[in-house]
Amino acid sequence: MAGRRSHSGRRSKAQQEFVSEAEEILERLRADLADLLDARAGAEEPGPELVNRLFRSAHSLKGLAGGFGRDAMGGLAHRLEDLLDGLRLGRVSLDSPAIDLLDEAIGLLAGLLDVEEEPGAAPLAGAAAEMVERIQAALCQADPTPGAQPVAHLDPALRRALTEYEEHRVLENVRRGRHLHLLEATLDVQAFEEGLTELTQAAREGGEVISTLPAPGEAPETQIRFTLLVASDLDQDAFRTRLQLPDASVRRVHAGGPPAPAAEATAAPPAPEPPAGPRELTSLKSISGTVRVDIRKLDELMNLVGELVIQRSALGAFAGRLAADARTARLGTDLGKLHQGLDRRLQDLQAAVLDVRMVPLAQVFEKLARVVRRLRRDEGKAVRLEIRGADTELDKLIVEDLVDPLMHVVRNAFDHAIEPPEERQAAGKPAEGRIRIEAFQRGNHVVIQVSDDGRGIDAEGVRRHAVQRGLVAPDEPLARKRLVETLLVPGFSTRDTVTATSGRGVGLDVVRTNLTALGGLLDLDWTPGLGTTVTFTLPITLAIIQALMVRVGGERFAIPLASVLETLVVEAARVQRSEGRELLNLRGEALPLRRLADEFGLVADPGTEELHVVVLGLGGARLGLLVDGLLGKQDAVIKPIQGPIQRLRGIAGATELGSHDAVLVLDVSALVEDALARPEAA
Amino acid sequence: MSRSDPTPTQPGPGPAAWRELARAAVEAPGAGAPEFVNELLVIELAGTAYALPIERVREIVRLRVITRVPRVPAEVRGVTSLRGEIFQVVDLRRRLGLPAAEADRRARIVVLHGDEGRTTGLLVDAVREVRRAPASSLRPPAPGTSPAVTALCLAGEEFVSLLDVDGVLDLGHDAA
Amino acid sequence: MHHILVVEDSPTMRSLLASTLEELGVPAKVSQANSGFEALRALPRSCFDLIVTDINMPDINGLELISFLRQNPAYRSIPILIISTEGSERDRERGLGLGADAYLVKPFEPEELRSLARELLAAKRGG
Repeated sequence: MAGRRSHSGRRSKAQQEFVSEAEEILERLRADLADLLDARAGAEEPGPELVNRLFRSAHSLKGLAGGFGRDAMGGLAHRLEDLLDGLRLGRVSLDSPAIDLLDEAIGLLAGLLDVEEEPGAAPLAGAAAEMVERIQAALCQADPTPGAQPVAHLDPALRRALTEYEEHRVLENVRRGRHLHLLEATLDVQAFEEGLTELTQAAREGGEVISTLPAPGEAPETQIRFTLLVASDLDQDAFRTRLQLPDASVRRVHAGGPPAPAAEATAAPPAPEPPAGPRELTSLKSISGTVRVDIRKLDELMNLVGELVIQRSALGAFAGRLAADARTARLGTDLGKLHQGLDRRLQDLQAAVLDVRMVPLAQVFEKLARVVRRLRRDEGKAVRLEIRGADTELDKLIVEDLVDPLMHVVRNAFDHAIEPPEERQAAGKPAEGRIRIEAFQRGNHVVIQVSDDGRGIDAEGVRRHAVQRGLVAPDEPLARKRLVETLLVPGFSTRDTVTATSGRGVGLDVVRTNLTALGGLLDLDWTPGLGTTVTFTLPITLAIIQALMVRVGGERFAIPLASVLETLVVEAARVQRSEGRELLNLRGEALPLRRLADEFGLVADPGTEELHVVVLGLGGARLGLLVDGLLGKQDAVIKPIQGPIQRLRGIAGATELGSHDAVLVLDVSALVEDALARPEAA
Repeated sequence: MSRSDPTPTQPGPGPAAWRELARAAVEAPGAGAPEFVNELLVIELAGTAYALPIERVREIVRLRVITRVPRVPAEVRGVTSLRGEIFQVVDLRRRLGLPAAEADRRARIVVLHGDEGRTTGLLVDAVREVRRAPASSLRPPAPGTSPAVTALCLAGEEFVSLLDVDGVLDLGHDAA
Repeated sequence: MHHILVVEDSPTMRSLLASTLEELGVPAKVSQANSGFEALRALPRSCFDLIVTDINMPDINGLELISFLRQNPAYRSIPILIISTEGSERDRERGLGLGADAYLVKPFEPEELRSLARELLAAKRGG
């Protein structure tokens, strides 16, 4: 789910995000700088977009560092931005000293980022200050008005609307001996977007689009005329052929010629350049078949799909209404068929978008393997790690939040479960311990199991501790299921309450809380002396779910359908009481009941003879939830609820219905847990 | 103070810094050039002017549907959805212990920048203006005022109470 | 009821401009566009009495937008207010040359913006 994270260590998380975003920007800066160097090495002209992109990266880094109070980084990024601004406007020449400055500044920024805290950066801060001065010095030498400028004979109307950067691009292209073309197309005022996008893309294949000027068409009410100013190595005819747009006209406004001598003598004479178009096309072909996409963009995409799905439901209802009326029955049937077609396509689209979010667990497993290798080295403990099913895929956001819980369980196995070699040999086990991580898909869930061949859970130790804490009566028999529940009680198994090697599932309660936040389940199984298996069961995605809409006390709530076993309407008289708890005899089994209104402090509708029961199932546990009414099924995009209160117990998030309504989505695992863990509650 | 917005703004002074600025303005008026100037969003609650540091404000929207949320303190009016984001709306009147009132057409939700997952809306009676506040216009708050007020800003004849956004958002406890 | 269009690519600045203009003291509705491109889409769909625009924007910039507005008979008389940054005097002058009516340099007092907007709206009604 978008942005839903475990909330422990918020500050460090924000810090992590700062670091990862800054790393990304630095990565871009390095890659673009490398391209710049490559271009120069090949005596090629680096494209203006490259310098402009470097400029924008420096600009973003400045803002990011400033926002996180990283003054040294921010200050240096600011100077770097100035330098790149000078470069893109041609005030600073792109020569070796400038490139060295860029290279050093970027390296220094990376160094500053690596130092966790700003105070620790003291040695680097000196270097940064020095670098700032060097860049300033370079900028002082820069020519604020670069000498005599070549002149292009542009239409004054066009010329007047150029910004400083655009004008610089015109002059620069003229100096380089390129042709300037005006590309004109008249489009429909009401729907010009598509045409303009097509025009711009086509023009970009033939050169650099410097400006896009709109003007009224001959019939100003219905037409809009766009004029694109494009610089290109192609002459007019070649450019027109490249475009392949019959509706657009091409005019030449400046004929290219031999490049005017540059203000400074350039290192190499301009090598015969291949035309920009073909070069760009070949380079496009050579890039790899993958793109990196910001996860937020995928969220946006998913939101849009979700909204489409909601719209589709409305369309279906409308078709139904038309079909029900004899006068419009045929229209309704036809619309119904269209709706069905749309429905199938939407399902495909939804599946395709979901698929894009899926990433294999391999990366996480790789991290775990690294940690085990390091532990093995540091602690000198012989443990073998086996990994299976690393290609199992899961929603990227879930995977990100899985790293910490998995790491915890693996460390538990390494540190506590697996015995020292002598103890193992005495027990007739191989001296080398084994941890196995295995992932596989089961229906709409992914199961990840971490098993070890260590000592297992010390049931008696857990029991003693539970009695001490008053969680269990001294004479109460502790069945395995109850034992696991006790182990997972928040605070029970935290590190400070047990000795390091007691084998009581250190910190499992925290792991469970993290998993619950992801809509997942934790299970624990062991054989004394032979080993422990921790099982995570996770939904494949949190993005779109089917939800049952219910009504309670005048409010609407959504319940994830995956957790709903069935819905019942029963007579109030069938509800039985046992030790203050309400029960329902459901086909011979006792189903515990909870009233959602009571759970949430709402006032339920005045009682009627008929009760609506939503039977929730989670793992082996079942719970009947009493609500005022059922409102039907709906696709829902679950979103996190942002705000000062980060843990809303019993609420998994919210979804939007219609235009502006937010509807809360119930957290079934928390509700079931609460209900079953409070036997004393009436 | 760290925020992870796509376009981070320059961080403004924190609550302690505001208090410091206010004290310095009284103790040494006119001293220490160049003068520090910050921008404030002036809002209205129960007829009185309050202000929020502008760099904490993401946007201002009209009152919209607010869905009630169970098991939260009364200051949290509920949640609302804005362009696909869902966040809590804190009733600033209640938060400051002011008398409750019906929101009218001047009411606005001031959406604050937040750390990941912490975008929050503040329900206010009205938004008045954005005002530049030179350090010399700051005064320490009167004794006994709400701890959420970090300084007073002299705006013409009127004193505007500058709120500590983090303090306002610290509801003390999670509703668990 | 005056209808004002705010064209600005920074969301923060845009919503601030809009909320400042909503409290104009005269009935006014404010629409927002995040680029010149969006502004062009919005224009045929409403009747605007004032356009407040930034200059440096992606795709279609403020100067190009102003040029379009001044050439189109339907929009020629809509007053245009440029929101400009320090250090971009040249672009600002160009905007006025293209037919914008006034400019304001960031940062500015909200009341400056409001009084300028009121003036431009009144001038339009008068002329």
